[in-house]
Amino acid sequence: MLGQNASRVNDAELIREAQRGNRAAFEELVRQYDQAVLRLALHLTGSEHDAKDIYQEAFLKAYRNLGGFRFECSFYTWIYRIVTNLCLDHLRRKQTRKEEPPVASDAEGRELNLLEQVADERPGSSPERNLARRELAARIALALKKLTARERIVFEMKHYEGLRLRTIGEALNTTEETVKNTLFRATQKLRAALANAR
Amino acid sequence: MNCEWVQQNVTLYLYNELPDDARFELEQHANRCQQCAAVISEFRGLHEQLDALPKLEVTPNLLAAARMELQERLETAEQLQGWRRFVLDPVAWLRQWRFSPALAAVIFIVGFGSGLGTMYSVAGGVRGAAGVTPTSPQPRAEASISGIRTIQQEAGTNRIKIQYDKTTPEQVQGSLSDPEIQQLLLYATRNNYNSGVRMDSIDVLRQKPEDGRIREGLVFALRYDSNPGVRLKALEAVTPYVHGDIRVRNAVVEALLNDNNPGIRMGALHALEASRADTSVRQALQQLAKDDPNPYIRTESRKMLASMPEID
Repeated sequence: MLGQNASRVNDAELIREAQRGNRAAFEELVRQYDQAVLRLALHLTGSEHDAKDIYQEAFLKAYRNLGGFRFECSFYTWIYRIVTNLCLDHLRRKQTRKEEPPVASDAEGRELNLLEQVADERPGSSPERNLARRELAARIALALKKLTARERIVFEMKHYEGLRLRTIGEALNTTEETVKNTLFRATQKLRAALANAR
Repeated sequence: MNCEWVQQNVTLYLYNELPDDARFELEQHANRCQQCAAVISEFRGLHEQLDALPKLEVTPNLLAAARMELQERLETAEQLQGWRRFVLDPVAWLRQWRFSPALAAVIFIVGFGSGLGTMYSVAGGVRGAAGVTPTSPQPRAEASISGIRTIQQEAGTNRIKIQYDKTTPEQVQGSLSDPEIQQLLLYATRNNYNSGVRMDSIDVLRQKPEDGRIREGLVFALRYDSNPGVRLKALEAVTPYVHGDIRVRNAVVEALLNDNNPGIRMGALHALEASRADTSVRQALQQLAKDDPNPYIRTESRKMLASMPEID
């Protein structure tokens, strides 16, 4: 908690400096949060290229609008709000297109098959077991794609990023109660989609 | 607490989002109710299944590429100040549907108002056509003119409109503690295309690295200057602060890992000697000892690692 407070104080100084036009201060802020931003975008888009685009757009938007930052929330919440909005737009656009196979792509657009990464290398693992794990991963990927954009983001931020519901609510500019309901719907859908897999 | 409540809140329970008293009651209820215990167990299984999906990780290459691209784009980006923040991005406003009716109303009112305004200015322009109003209040003798852009004479009048550019070289003198001098020196480290000027600027700034703003400028030069000579000078200037200033240390570790100039990497390696017990420095040394293309850096990194106590 002490570390968090210290980081907030440090952020506030950096933000004020950046608002006065000090770009080095803004870059220091970027470095504190950009890995988390890139990871969230990468997990949600499944593409290094798209994640990089969202990263650029988010920080450029933050830079341009930093003058309007009034310290009503933390910089962390503010940048997450920008990123989640961009990810929501991206997922909504993607959902209007046709289904895609569960592959991700790197920055050069080369496909990275996530399912290849499921292989269990531990001693005692068998090809049958590996096959079963891959099938399960494919079903999970498909089930996640069937969630609405908002359900997907809430679920990703809660289950994989481990954020508190209150933080997710702040990032999505909504109440904790709404986030709870969205998470409930997402979990029920996943439960139904994976019911026969257990 | 009943079974329906438990089943509604099992997700929150597993994510540790229930208040302590509700959590306790839910556990007590599950101890008595087999059906609810089974639901909790089923959801726990679902969570384990979901963890089986491999997640893409951010590679150092991806992060470095994203940072570099952002750095380039920030060169040309401008912060929106004052009223511009509210009017320059109407497309983004439109995307937020809740602002659309208000924005439509504003556009209508502004359009109507400017239509009226145009009518008045046309009428006013006709009335004032005979008068002569000088548009440049500056006495031209005092400024040097670098070029004439356009010359236009209004038909049927003796009014001539000339657009020209001025250059007025200026000079300022003062000590390094003078904020204006500092500002100009910091400006020179970032914006001058001439690396000689940047080098001179760093040379002066390094005399006062204890000043936070100057140190930031030096760190910026170490990170981003395209000229290795400038980067090396900046590195030398910030070296005494590696141990005490985390931002300086991070920049030096970055230079150690990513600078394409082996001389700077070696300089960074020596600069970090005093902070070698720091976790980030240790990790960087381990990476260099394994992967650095330069044999000297690999050997030196191994030596530094060998001289450190083991951490369990």
